[in-house]
Amino acid sequence: MSLYSQNYYGQPSYGGPTYAAPAPQPGYQYQYPQQSPPPQSHSPPHVFIDPASFRRDYSSRLDQLQFNSRPIIQSLSFYAQEYSRYADIVAQCLDSHIRKYAKPEGITWDSCGFCVPPWMKLPAFYLLDAISKNVYDPYARVFAPFVIPLFLETYRLVDDNTRSKMDEMLLTWRTGAPNGKELFGLAPQMAIERGIWGDQAASTPLLYLSARSDLPQGPNQITKAQVMSELNFALQAKERAIQVNPNDMTSKHHLQVLFQLRGLVEAGVSQDELGQILSQLRGLVRPPPAQAPPAPQAPQTQWPATQFAPPAPTTYPPPPASYPNSYSTPVSVKSEPIAPSVPASAETTIPTNQAHLHISSILSSLMKSGLVSGSAVEVLKESKEEPMEQEPEEEPKPITPSAEDLNAIKNAQADYRKRILAERMETSLVENSIDDPTSVSDFLYDYLSLQCQQCGIRYPDTTLGKKRLEDHLDLHFRQNRKLSQNLGRGHDRSWFISVEDWVHEPLGDTPSKVRMPRVKSARVKAAALVEKMERAIDLESRYVTIPPGDEAKLVACPICKETLQIEFLEDEEEWIWRNAVKKDDRVYHATCHAEATASTSNLVTRLKSELGTGSRASTPEANSSRSTPPLVRARRSPSRSPSSSPSKLVGVKRKVEHEDPSSIAADHTPPLKKLALSQL
Amino acid sequence: MSTQNLPPDTQVLVLKPESEYRFELDPDTALAIKLVRGKAEIFGAELVPGKYYLFGVECKAAVFTWKGCTIEISPEPSTEYDSEDTPMRAYGNLHIALEKMRVRSLLSLSGSSLAPGESQSTTKPSDPPRVLVIGPANSGKTTLCKILVNYCVRAGQGWSPILVNVDPNDGGWAVPGALSAAAVHDPIHTYSAATSLGSAATTAPMSLASNTLFPLVYWYGHADSKRNPKLMERLIRNIGENLEERFDQKPENKASGCIVDTPALFSSGPAATAEARQRLIRACVDAFRINTILVVGQEKLSAEMKKIYSKQLTVIKVPKSGGVVDLDNTFRERVHSHQIHTYMYGTNIRPPPGIPSNLVFVAGEPNSDFILSPASTTVNIGDLSIFRIGTEAMAPVSALPIGAKRVVSEMQPIPVDASLSGSGLLNRVLAIMAPFNPDENERYDEEVLDLTVRGFVVVTGLDLKAKRMTILKPNRDSIAGKTAVVGTFEWLDE
Repeated sequence: MSLYSQNYYGQPSYGGPTYAAPAPQPGYQYQYPQQSPPPQSHSPPHVFIDPASFRRDYSSRLDQLQFNSRPIIQSLSFYAQEYSRYADIVAQCLDSHIRKYAKPEGITWDSCGFCVPPWMKLPAFYLLDAISKNVYDPYARVFAPFVIPLFLETYRLVDDNTRSKMDEMLLTWRTGAPNGKELFGLAPQMAIERGIWGDQAASTPLLYLSARSDLPQGPNQITKAQVMSELNFALQAKERAIQVNPNDMTSKHHLQVLFQLRGLVEAGVSQDELGQILSQLRGLVRPPPAQAPPAPQAPQTQWPATQFAPPAPTTYPPPPASYPNSYSTPVSVKSEPIAPSVPASAETTIPTNQAHLHISSILSSLMKSGLVSGSAVEVLKESKEEPMEQEPEEEPKPITPSAEDLNAIKNAQADYRKRILAERMETSLVENSIDDPTSVSDFLYDYLSLQCQQCGIRYPDTTLGKKRLEDHLDLHFRQNRKLSQNLGRGHDRSWFISVEDWVHEPLGDTPSKVRMPRVKSARVKAAALVEKMERAIDLESRYVTIPPGDEAKLVACPICKETLQIEFLEDEEEWIWRNAVKKDDRVYHATCHAEATASTSNLVTRLKSELGTGSRASTPEANSSRSTPPLVRARRSPSRSPSSSPSKLVGVKRKVEHEDPSSIAADHTPPLKKLALSQL
Repeated sequence: MSTQNLPPDTQVLVLKPESEYRFELDPDTALAIKLVRGKAEIFGAELVPGKYYLFGVECKAAVFTWKGCTIEISPEPSTEYDSEDTPMRAYGNLHIALEKMRVRSLLSLSGSSLAPGESQSTTKPSDPPRVLVIGPANSGKTTLCKILVNYCVRAGQGWSPILVNVDPNDGGWAVPGALSAAAVHDPIHTYSAATSLGSAATTAPMSLASNTLFPLVYWYGHADSKRNPKLMERLIRNIGENLEERFDQKPENKASGCIVDTPALFSSGPAATAEARQRLIRACVDAFRINTILVVGQEKLSAEMKKIYSKQLTVIKVPKSGGVVDLDNTFRERVHSHQIHTYMYGTNIRPPPGIPSNLVFVAGEPNSDFILSPASTTVNIGDLSIFRIGTEAMAPVSALPIGAKRVVSEMQPIPVDASLSGSGLLNRVLAIMAPFNPDENERYDEEVLDLTVRGFVVVTGLDLKAKRMTILKPNRDSIAGKTAVVGTFEWLDE
């Protein structure tokens, strides 16, 4: 039925037909994973919890996940991370947990959607999502076999609102893997999307809900609804990003484009145009398919067809509730639903004909240059308008507490103060009360009953305390992620800070969160600049050997149109193009090429992180930093020596032989100045 | 979890309420403690149940519980016992009293009225606690400071007290010979004798702020505070001025107050040094605007302090813990060496056998995060301008012939030429100083005395012929062109 083999992962074939044409009857079951538990992996050397008690423990903890509680989800995914050797057990627990609620006995399919409390399944899916994004390996691999039936089955059972949240989650899975690809692999992603928006819809109960497909469509066509759904998803994310950061001009610009696109789609466009819009949209949201493995991935004409309209725009849900919102940013955006798709909104924002003008120019540029490269050009163009400042490392945003929060903080403080002042103890009395009982443990333990299971810091069991604990757990998440990225890189002692920085150390309400941003950002910036310099040197030292006979030819870089510099390498006895790389049989300036690819991926990264600010995409915070290129050290010799494994450096003295004055000077000139000089 | 899963040599211990389990580690041994049930803390930092906490580097500490707990210990340390006789009630009451001062101070700083019915205390109600802890050697001064600071940050009120270390015998966050001050946000964990006050910032991501402290560091350069009391006094006043400036930034900072840990020599010593001692205590009281002096476990000293200071501040005698260990000089020297090693290489405690390394935490962080990689580099001797404060061998003023004056004052920075033999720089610890004032007009002769320290390096090799020296530095940033000050500490990189 499609190019995408369901045996992609070597699993038993339960491809399209098995799940996509399920007999709509109660008690229907999937045969796939749980009934035959996956082979137990070898037991690791130091086992403290045996598999059985781990299973018991994990599933009992899972049972507490009855509502969308971020602390529980986080602690469960920590737990999963710690015991990744029991990934199979976690997978089984999760699967059966979700199914437990998904298979009510003796209830017919049509009434299911109303009798099964969806809030019990959605959090479990969020957990699955969080685990597989944050602890990608091995979980994504382990979940992949059963995620398709689980998702589709659940999707059929839940109400519209939950569905739309699952839609959102599914969209984030497209780029959820650390390398920016499909979280569970291409095949499962396709299978799920096909199952939801796909051609087999006629046999699913979904049809009952949305039998208003206004565009009868043949196979190999894209539904308007599918495009709308993705459009709306991107729109909401953008709007939230703007709410968070009203000065974000790029987001505003993107928002305008998206509005125009939506207006266009709503007004009705041809199938061709739909496809182009979709691919344009995806081009913005996902990284360019530069190294995507199988060809069939990108062309949207092969995107599955459908015969029904999935949740129509008007029923599209408000932005997701607190869970996804607060996931990545501590900012408490009280995101009131932004009238998502009032049909007239396009017209009210921008005059229609103008929108048409704009869009048609996009479309024509798309057609001219072929879809993929077209979107890349588009991306390039836009990125030129960007300020070059890219935060290399996402910093926690400063907390802007709402009035409500401020009030709560005030009350909590007032409580504490009252209690402390009510104590009898005074400094003048301490000496004579050495053996008097003290109430100190009430203050240190009993009044603060929430505890972070990572480091032991306590918070009061109040709404505010919970929020602080959540923020605190976010911090752990970031640290853990940084740690996993830093593995083997080695750490060193920082210089002490200057008097000025020490005196002005800004303190937030939860100081551990906003630790020395000034110092840090200065450091980070300096480090980034140094890295840039080093990369530039490295790039300029690259060369391409000129094929024999072509020495006399003048070759121009396709990006900057300037001719490549020819040099004779004494050592190699060869003619080379200096500062050059070869890609797809064309020779580019290494610097131009790097700039072009970097700006493309930068935009994608930023877009992704913007999408992330308010939506389900928050758990994949990992992508943004993952897609930054690995640190390239300056190497003066043009030969591309293999880099030594950094893990060997840990704990070992690094020998920097004979730091001669010239290199010292180079190292020591303030990076800014160096950059300025180099740009002259 | 059943008992057969326990690692070998594990003992399970039930602690009664308000008792503590004390242990002392031999060199090169490690210990893992897991809290099984109840609540427990180590010098005020709470333990999370179910996690293995790792201790090493001759750590001597105690697990205290207010309401009783069960802990697992593996393997058995060479010295261990439990005790129900602790001064924790007094320390707890002290904390409550200090909290009261903080709350009152914050209320008055922010202009809110005091709660009705609040009785006026004898001290000026609006002063935040500024505490000086003094006491003889081995009385648990540093531990008391740590407990008070930890309790303060655990109150959940966003306090960030400044912990000041003016004991050059204890490296604090830097290396021995340094005087330093840092704002503490999260509880400080105890895990090694070399990091009694937590760890200064590294490039490793840490989740606890106490593992990435940002101290303000001045370089005294000697272990003995009597050696150059004038320099010591000047540095104390420097810290005090910066502290005041910091306090003025935000009311919460100010209300959190400060706690100052002092060397034992402040409180006892030969009679001849009495005047110098008093001067140093006076310098601290003035510089940090001390309003509370805690005298740990010495009646005579507390009487003396009361006599001098009772008009302007509160002097409190607090009991010393029975658990303090008498530390001899060889231990101190070992700790000095550990501290410099830790500054360069971080802490690397190998978990005891049977404890899975992925379940082990050091101070609440994964173990591997504490391992650091310093850099070794060769520089021209002229690349660093090195100073010594005063002369190398400084005779006390009293030993000079009557009427004679020093040729070189103890405060004078003297350039050291590393290219001359006998410079004595090999294996010396050098403090790399912050840059001089960029404005030429603002420069002055002794400015180097007032500069803060950016970091420490050790001269590991000296080639007089080639006029180059090999330097071990904490990270790979270049140190060329910097100013360095040498003290009397030596360290061999083993």
